[in-house]
Amino acid sequence: MATLLPFPVQPAAPVKEPAPVLRVQGLRKAFEGREVLRGVDWTVPAGRVIGLLGRNGAGKTTLLRCLLGLAPVDAGSIELFGVPMTEPGGERLHRVGFVPQSFDLFPWMKVRAYLDFTAAFYDRWNHALAARLLDEWQLDPAQKIGRLSQGQRQKLAIVRAIAPEPDLLVLDEPVASLDPQARRAFMAELLALMGAPGKTVIFSTHITADLERADADIALLRDGLIHFVRPLAELKSRLCHAVLSRPAGWTTPPAMAGVLKARVAGASLHLLLEDVPAERLHQLAKDEEASLRIEMPTLEDLFVELA
Amino acid sequence: MRSIVQLWLLPNRQMPLLGTVAHLLWLAALASLALVTPHAEGAAIGATLLAVGSWFWHLGLATTLRSACQPETFLLPAFRRRLAAFGLADAAIWVGLPALLALALHVPHAALGGTLLLLAAAMGFAMGVERWISLLFWPLLVLAGWMPGLVGAVVHGALESPLTLPLLLLVALLLLRLSLHPMLRITDRPPDTSPLEGLSVGRGTATDAAPRRSALGRRFEGWFDAIAQRAMEQALSRYRQQPTAARRRTLVRRLLLPHDNALAILLRLAIMAVFATLYVVVALHRRHFHASVVGAYAVLIALARFPQIGRGMQRMRPNLADLYLTLAPTTRTQYQQTLADALLVLVPIGTVSALAYTVLGIVLTHATQPWLMLLVTLIVATGGGLVALAVHLIGPQNAVGRQLVNATVLMGTMAMYWAGVALVDALGYVFGGGLLALVVLGFGLGVWFAAQREYQRREPCFDAPLA
Repeated sequence: MATLLPFPVQPAAPVKEPAPVLRVQGLRKAFEGREVLRGVDWTVPAGRVIGLLGRNGAGKTTLLRCLLGLAPVDAGSIELFGVPMTEPGGERLHRVGFVPQSFDLFPWMKVRAYLDFTAAFYDRWNHALAARLLDEWQLDPAQKIGRLSQGQRQKLAIVRAIAPEPDLLVLDEPVASLDPQARRAFMAELLALMGAPGKTVIFSTHITADLERADADIALLRDGLIHFVRPLAELKSRLCHAVLSRPAGWTTPPAMAGVLKARVAGASLHLLLEDVPAERLHQLAKDEEASLRIEMPTLEDLFVELA
Repeated sequence: MRSIVQLWLLPNRQMPLLGTVAHLLWLAALASLALVTPHAEGAAIGATLLAVGSWFWHLGLATTLRSACQPETFLLPAFRRRLAAFGLADAAIWVGLPALLALALHVPHAALGGTLLLLAAAMGFAMGVERWISLLFWPLLVLAGWMPGLVGAVVHGALESPLTLPLLLLVALLLLRLSLHPMLRITDRPPDTSPLEGLSVGRGTATDAAPRRSALGRRFEGWFDAIAQRAMEQALSRYRQQPTAARRRTLVRRLLLPHDNALAILLRLAIMAVFATLYVVVALHRRHFHASVVGAYAVLIALARFPQIGRGMQRMRPNLADLYLTLAPTTRTQYQQTLADALLVLVPIGTVSALAYTVLGIVLTHATQPWLMLLVTLIVATGGGLVALAVHLIGPQNAVGRQLVNATVLMGTMAMYWAGVALVDALGYVFGGGLLALVVLGFGLGVWFAAQREYQRREPCFDAPLA
């Protein structure tokens, strides 16, 4: 049995927010009658790394493609760099880097020719960075893209996306095909490059360790909506996981303020809590004649509980 | 047993018409053998029907199995053994059963007939797997045309010789070996070419399966790739020097149509010329074609390129998302316009190709009205190309719809070609040609501009097509 309670609305932060890179309002998208996005409202401020989390089929890829105008939307509005995304808008697209989920680009082209072709259209293209990454990631410029492994293609897609030094980098599960070394190298490059002021990264991933490394803001997409967007550090400092156990088991979870999710598993009651002091939990355990175990949840734990 | 049934169902599902016709021919052949043989030439009718049906069936079967025999397929338990069992069952149906029936009915030369049936099946199968195998039979056709007396004598002698049967069996086995070996061998998948490139040598147009290339095909591919690479480098260098709209369009063309630069077109024409010359040598020594037929055929070859545009643009959709971000158009209409402009180059390429093939035809057939043929080809290939590009750019997305549209365009173009020949013949080059140009090019341009507007109106689509 699991009960999911509404996530409490946070009070507005007193600090002045920078101008948003992206503002989405009431975004809806359906495929053959199946609604994937059900009125997404989302604002992404400049200069942040956003980790978009959601279960398989939650609509992460669809959302990211809609944001860039790569898929038509059924309703709602999208503003990119403060301008409505009704038309691509020319050079605005050059301020965006995109790494798709799978990279099957132009398999008949060679790596060098593909990058040269792409670079020719950009006013800003960091040739030295592209050359260095090709070298460090052992991508042969003379190789045909069709001959590269999936992981190598993903690396090439990343090189292509970051070489123009975009202001907004959108990555759809970019590291899924990478080996651990390449993943770490990529994250290091990403953080170094996008650490400059005003640079924003949105990436969907299931590898929560990468988000922890990037100290990202977590956006959770569930039931076709952005359920919440919060800094990871805040999530980890305010949320905790409590397990109450007693031989008689649990029929209903006890009512208590701050419970985000309650789940009964055998004789144990698992509670995901926000801003609940340890003393109150000890009191609850005492009242219910149960043993208590308090754990600090990892992002993966939070994802499992909340997604 | 179930696996054998499933293997038999494969070509029937993929090509139901071929499966039905081939099996109806098989039934008709056996009926001829059983019912007509005692009275007349039932055996001959039956053998002919069987040979034709078997050839078609095995051609289709090979095409299906060729795309089914991917490395992953060999992971199926005992796949090779089951394939062999299916092969035996198939041989029993198409060769063994008719041969036994013929023996039972005391049909003369039954054993030879059975061997020839096996040869027909092996030929069909081998041509389905490796298209170049059909070239092996051309010298025989040339010989039959040049020296029919000699061939007649050889056939007569062969009927009497005890060596004929084992030799034919050996040829059939050799053909099966040639076709089965590459099909059952697990090789690396070659990198795909642009889905918009359809007529390049060694690349299939009918299926999206991994291309199988012979050594000759690989060599051609190497030439085309080297040329494409150089053309891209040149286009890049020119664009960097002066980034004009025209040079930008050329650059996009070099990406989407890597084998449609001047040098690659020349190479393609040269290769086609070699094959066309061989074909004409084979075909023309026996009967004399009306020279205009060659012109019509040239137009058909040029138009055969366009269906690939519809299929290719569909397959390219996910790739085009990257091009969209790279080009960074101001509006979606501008982006659609860029693609349409890039593809428009296929029309003059098609016209030039048709003219080149026509010139070749004129030379080979010693045509009496070369200028008439060239004028009509120029007008009809251009008009037909515009219409073909238009309908394949905005036409139906499903295979059946595309085939119907394609058939309509081809028939319409052929009607225009013959009407054009008659018109120019009757009214002369100025009036006839002018009228033809007015009608055909007017219609072609009208359809193209309408299609272009419709294509620009549409939202770009970057979703992968459903398989």
